[in-house]
Amino acid sequence: MAKQERGLSRIELLQGTLDLIVLQTLRWGPRHGYGIAQMIRASSRDVLQVDTGSLYPALHRLEKSGAIAAEWETSENRQRVRVYRLTAAGRKQLDAERSRWEQLSEAMAGILAPPAREAGT
Amino acid sequence: MIALWRRQRRELELEEELTGHIRMAIEERVARGEPREDAERAARREFGNLGVVKEVTREMWGGGWLERLSQDVRYGVRTLRRSPAFTIVALSTLALGIGATTAMFTVVHAVLLRPLPYPRSDRLMRLAYDYPKSPFITEGGISDRQWVEHRSRYRTFARVAAMTPGLVTLTNAGDPVRLQEASVAAGLFETLGIMPALGRTFGLDDEQIGSEPVVILGDALWRERFGADSTVVGRAITIDGVRHTVLGVMPQGFAYPLDARIWRPLRLQLAPNRFQILSVIGRLRDGATRAQAVAELDALAAADRARDSLISRVTPLKDTVVGDVSQSLLVFAGAVGLVLLIACANVANLLLMRATTRRREMAVRAALGAGRRRLVRQLVTESALLWVGAGVAGAGVAMVGVRALLALAPPGRIPRHGEIGVDAAALAFALAVSLGTGLIFGLIPAIRATRSSVRDALAATARTMTGRDGRLRGALVVAEIALALVLLTGAALMVESFVRLRGVELGFRPSGLALLTVDLPDATYPSAPAMQAAHQAVLDRLGRIRGVAAATAVNFVPLGGAMIRGDIKVEGRTIPPGYLVAKPAVSPGYFRTMGIDLRLGREFTAQDAASAPRVAIVSQSVARQIWPDVNPIGQRISNKDVPGPGDWLTVIGVVEDVGQTSIDTHREPAIYQPIQQLTQTFFLGHMSFVVRAAGDPALLLPAMRRALRDADPNQPIGSIGTMESAISATVAEPLFQARLIGAFSVVALVLAAIGIYGVVAYSVAERTHEIGIRVALGAGRADVIGMVLRRLLVLLVPGMAFGVIGALATTRVLSSLLFEIRPNDPATFITVAVLLAAVAIIAGMVPARRASRVDPLVALREG
Repeated sequence: MAKQERGLSRIELLQGTLDLIVLQTLRWGPRHGYGIAQMIRASSRDVLQVDTGSLYPALHRLEKSGAIAAEWETSENRQRVRVYRLTAAGRKQLDAERSRWEQLSEAMAGILAPPAREAGT
Repeated sequence: MIALWRRQRRELELEEELTGHIRMAIEERVARGEPREDAERAARREFGNLGVVKEVTREMWGGGWLERLSQDVRYGVRTLRRSPAFTIVALSTLALGIGATTAMFTVVHAVLLRPLPYPRSDRLMRLAYDYPKSPFITEGGISDRQWVEHRSRYRTFARVAAMTPGLVTLTNAGDPVRLQEASVAAGLFETLGIMPALGRTFGLDDEQIGSEPVVILGDALWRERFGADSTVVGRAITIDGVRHTVLGVMPQGFAYPLDARIWRPLRLQLAPNRFQILSVIGRLRDGATRAQAVAELDALAAADRARDSLISRVTPLKDTVVGDVSQSLLVFAGAVGLVLLIACANVANLLLMRATTRRREMAVRAALGAGRRRLVRQLVTESALLWVGAGVAGAGVAMVGVRALLALAPPGRIPRHGEIGVDAAALAFALAVSLGTGLIFGLIPAIRATRSSVRDALAATARTMTGRDGRLRGALVVAEIALALVLLTGAALMVESFVRLRGVELGFRPSGLALLTVDLPDATYPSAPAMQAAHQAVLDRLGRIRGVAAATAVNFVPLGGAMIRGDIKVEGRTIPPGYLVAKPAVSPGYFRTMGIDLRLGREFTAQDAASAPRVAIVSQSVARQIWPDVNPIGQRISNKDVPGPGDWLTVIGVVEDVGQTSIDTHREPAIYQPIQQLTQTFFLGHMSFVVRAAGDPALLLPAMRRALRDADPNQPIGSIGTMESAISATVAEPLFQARLIGAFSVVALVLAAIGIYGVVAYSVAERTHEIGIRVALGAGRADVIGMVLRRLLVLLVPGMAFGVIGALATTRVLSSLLFEIRPNDPATFITVAVLLAAVAIIAGMVPARRASRVDPLVALREG
């Protein structure tokens, strides 16, 4: 699963991060698995490339926990596709995880940013 | 069901969802202008392994235990299929172990555990008086006189019935045939609680002397000889030359006593100075106990008790039916259990080894979020699959095994033969054994395999085995060695005992002899002269067969399974009380034909006829016991307690002692009389004709059959064969026991050798690096081999020590099965230990030699 493709460095996602990304992606409307993968890739400017081996387990796990729901739709070329959408519970989870992430990233930024004093010397 | 169906649909949907993903990726690439083939390849590569994605996604479903189980099972089947060599070895080892155990259980269950096939059979008892001091009554019972006096007086029994077994000849229903029969008192079938399928049972009237002779047929006989014809009731058939009317037919599967095929009414003729011992069974009245029944038997026989010091016995009928076979069955069951344990230890060892090499797989799965419980469950499921698969295969092995066991067992020695079959109980047993051993032996490696942390496993290559694993696997091999040693010792004792049994000097030369035994019915040959004429007619015809060097006759042939024994009176001497001798009657030329040495005097000749002076030949130990000081020739002896003038027999010769009754009782004293001088048909009806062949005695058998048919076409053959095969038949049971235990112990030895090989080979593999360094530092081949063998000795020495202790503790159970060898025979113990050590060292030498050829450069580079 830890394959690197086309030389692109791929950031390993922290556990739980993928859930947040998926929920965030679905915020803009229902989407199928392929669409979600493409969107993550595009919106991270190709930095985050989600492995199907992580994406689909995440989707099914979220579906089971009730954060997202899935239904079969027929696409324009008459193929059945499984489309996921955010549920009310998912929306709540997204907000919670989002604020947690923001806390985390602030904290991380604090740790990583060199303190002003030291920078001054 | 619904869960499974839902799951299946979900499975299909997942497939559709994921292939949809790939399709969309391809379409997008094509839309971007890539050639379709390239697009397909790239999209698939980008997607990764479809199977793996499906699997990890599926794991998120969770679901009921059934779903999880079927998921684990599927995963387990897949991993097992990925390593077919391991799976085949483990499966076949376990299948053999479980199959053999199940086969043995099937027999033990049918013979020992299952109740007898009669209603409320636990209330059925055998009533008997033992006469511990009587030289004549070896097997207890109820005398005919006691039966007649007591039968209506038992209060603790709701019903009682007597019977005595025998042999009859059925003619005019196909070929003449000898049948096991039982003469039974009225009420026997009612006591057992089994009524005839056709017709009626015997009444008291049928026991009256002079009433019309009647019989009841067994189901098998009715089918074989009367075509299962239901109109047979009321028809007349010929038994021992007498017309009997068929009263009824017993239902299928009924047999009491076990070998009886036909029943006749018991007809007692109480005569002074003669008595008959009957087998009496009773059904305990509700509320009555065995102890009360014993007390009642004591009270009923109070007078006899004082005189003969008899002991009352009330034994559950099942115990008497099962008899002495229970011990050897339990020994076999124990032996087969040991084999199963060794097989399980071996497979557990394989699993441990495999677990070490699978550490990376476990670590990866753990990293993907599978909890330890989950992994243990997966591994246990995998081994459970192995064991259950082996259980199913084992049930098949058991079916074949039971059939083989019954086919190889000496005929007539396994009671309740017809009830034995692989049934639901046996299958449940196989399943329980496989699940039980699977859980125990599968859980330990599973816990071990998942204990090491992810970091350790990913960091280290799977090359080094932790000390704990090594110790556990070592312990398993030590146990295997110990168990194998116990089994081997038992087997060696049995084999040695059998060898000694076959080495017994019989006192005659069996090679080149052929034997034909008949039972002449009194009805056809009502007098002694008639029987003697019949013997002569057969002897004359046998003598004329080409290739027969000599033909003779004897009523009770040595090792023939029956013998008349009695006391004797000697003119002018007193005999120590209880001195019994065998009393065969023979025709002229007997000793020469049999190869029994004549020590003194002469053999019987045709001149020792009925009208000639009555003569006897004594065996050497009789001569030594009775006439140590004088020449026995010319002395007079008698069979009568108070001999009249015509009852004295003059000794004309002394012959070598012969093993008369069985090969394992020593050669015994005997006095011989000429057949021509006997006057009672009782001693003449059962007769064996012995011929000495110029060549192979087996080739004479067809001509011997013809000779008998010539002399009397209605006379069935009791038995026919070479003397060698007749003797083999008498030792068939010890041979069977020795072979069976021998086979188990060979399997155990092979399994233990595989176990030793595995552990040593593994330790060599993991120490290749170290060995390489040692070789590089100048260690020679011998040093390396020594180093590896030391690892082996660490296992072998404690294994053998425990094995010897175990064998000392357990071989005692064999005592009653052994002949002239003690269960702790030191020579046997030493031989077995040496053998096992040799096999272990050979098994260890293979990897040791491989280690000694390690190329230091290769070993170090790989490290």
